[in-house]
Amino acid sequence: MTFYEDVRAECADGVPAGAYADADFAHYVYLSRDGPYALSCSLDGERRLKAVSKAVPLFSWDEREMAQDWAVRFDGLPDDRPLRAQHGEMPAARIASGDGIMRFVVGPVHAGIIECGRFTFSSGGETVVHLDAQLGYAHRGVERALVGAPAVQAASKVARICGGCSAARSYAYALALEALAGVEPEPEIDLARLIAAELERAYNHLADLAASASGAGYAVGFARGMALKERAMRLSRFAYGHRLLFDAIAPGGLGRRVLEDRVQLGTELAEFDRDVHAYVKSLFANTSMTSRWERAGVVAPETLQAFGAVGPAVRAGGGSIDVRAFVPYGAYRRFSPTVARAAASDAFARAEVKRDELLESLLLIRRALHELGNASLPPPQFVEPQPGMALKVVEGPRGTEFVAVHVGQGSRIERIHVISASYRNWPLVARAMDNNIVPDFPLVNKSFNLCYACADR
Amino acid sequence: MFRTSIGIRHLVCGSCNGCEHEMNALNNTFYDITQDGWDLVASPRHADVVTVTGPMTDAMRMAAKSTLEAVPQPSVVVAIGDCATGEGPWQSAPAGAGAGIELGADVLVRGCPPAPDEIRAGLRAAAELLDSRRSRGHG
Repeated sequence: MTFYEDVRAECADGVPAGAYADADFAHYVYLSRDGPYALSCSLDGERRLKAVSKAVPLFSWDEREMAQDWAVRFDGLPDDRPLRAQHGEMPAARIASGDGIMRFVVGPVHAGIIECGRFTFSSGGETVVHLDAQLGYAHRGVERALVGAPAVQAASKVARICGGCSAARSYAYALALEALAGVEPEPEIDLARLIAAELERAYNHLADLAASASGAGYAVGFARGMALKERAMRLSRFAYGHRLLFDAIAPGGLGRRVLEDRVQLGTELAEFDRDVHAYVKSLFANTSMTSRWERAGVVAPETLQAFGAVGPAVRAGGGSIDVRAFVPYGAYRRFSPTVARAAASDAFARAEVKRDELLESLLLIRRALHELGNASLPPPQFVEPQPGMALKVVEGPRGTEFVAVHVGQGSRIERIHVISASYRNWPLVARAMDNNIVPDFPLVNKSFNLCYACADR
Repeated sequence: MFRTSIGIRHLVCGSCNGCEHEMNALNNTFYDITQDGWDLVASPRHADVVTVTGPMTDAMRMAAKSTLEAVPQPSVVVAIGDCATGEGPWQSAPAGAGAGIELGADVLVRGCPPAPDEIRAGLRAAAELLDSRRSRGHG
């Protein structure tokens, strides 16, 4: 069988997750119940491959990126534009044409406090017939910048690739280096990492629910949600020394002294828990708002499948994969979460899934904190990654967060690649707008609430 | 009484979104900067102060300059966070050396990210600076 046939066949056995290249190889990444794995193919000589994205659209962004950054020459790439700007110039947007179709552009500077990206809408009257979401404006070249860096020290930079999913990425990166070093974190460390990861999910889901209320024009729902998000950030600072949990998780253990005053934390969490329950109850009882969420931004299950949707977005459309339950890691091996699911695949279903996950996160935090009790947290273990490649995945607030690290001599990074949940899901936001009205874009967009920084890197 | 009232336009030049989480916090009920007479505005044409984040990226450079050119004068530019002030993790990356440095920021707010109260202090300094520029008839 050719490599192309292998990659296609594997899509039936494993769950395809993305692809990337390095100087010598192309790697196609999958997830199974045994964990993530890659099929790799040498690029020597011509660097020529048959595009898989023609048959499996999920790989479209990945293959465009491989062509742009790693000079892989694909045959039959359905969209052969560079993924990002070249020499400061963004490739032309794809637009629909026809009688009465008009085009308008939003971005890369947005009206709110939002990251940079460009959305080109083609609409017939109010109805969107095509949306081209072009990202890459936040491309800093972090993967290139990390080449040659000492892998363990680079953890603080990996934590700063994206602010909204920092703990998840730090967690995946720590697992990767620990695997290459043959180090196993202690059970207490697993518990402290779980609490950090769930705090991150909680503040993100609160912000998403608040933003979805705002997208439906409900100011009180927005204000209450953002106040609760602020409290989650203050709890994160109190427990982990940083409002966005930067550096809380580090290779070998934790990045600093954390969870020092657990009695106070428990008291504040109990109050927080009560207020979050009251908030989501009142939010979802407001039917004049939730009816705005219904049938907005529907993505058909076959589209979710074709684009390899992850996280709450796929679980709101009948999907079932949550890495915490699918391939449990750390303390999730004992505290398996109930996987939140819905079927309607609209803005309402995505809000339902996030609500259920938020409440589950609070439950997991309480259980982990209880189990941890007064146990002292061991200092970081010595981690000396040996040459090799490690591929790890965790469930972040927006879905699967993959980190691939190739480490060379002297424990230095040879290649690092991030496949973020946002990178996977962005093409869906565009599809979710098909046949929706232009004024619903904020609502539909916020029902996904994806990051730009970890998609652009 | 309205001497230090300002309209603030936020400009993202490749930040990690951490600074944006903290800028957004300024609008929540804990910080509520409308009580200072401050407003986060949707257009640079409505702004007195521009806050910038990120190291600056190639793709954003032109849009960032156009945004600043659209702001009425006098104005003040505030660099928010270590990336923008030239002390962030990506200084050696292909990205730029700090959006605030490139765009000639008048006020630097350090931190990764700076806490909302630190951003508020930077905005206070920007409001005072703007007031002094106005009273000098600058711009």
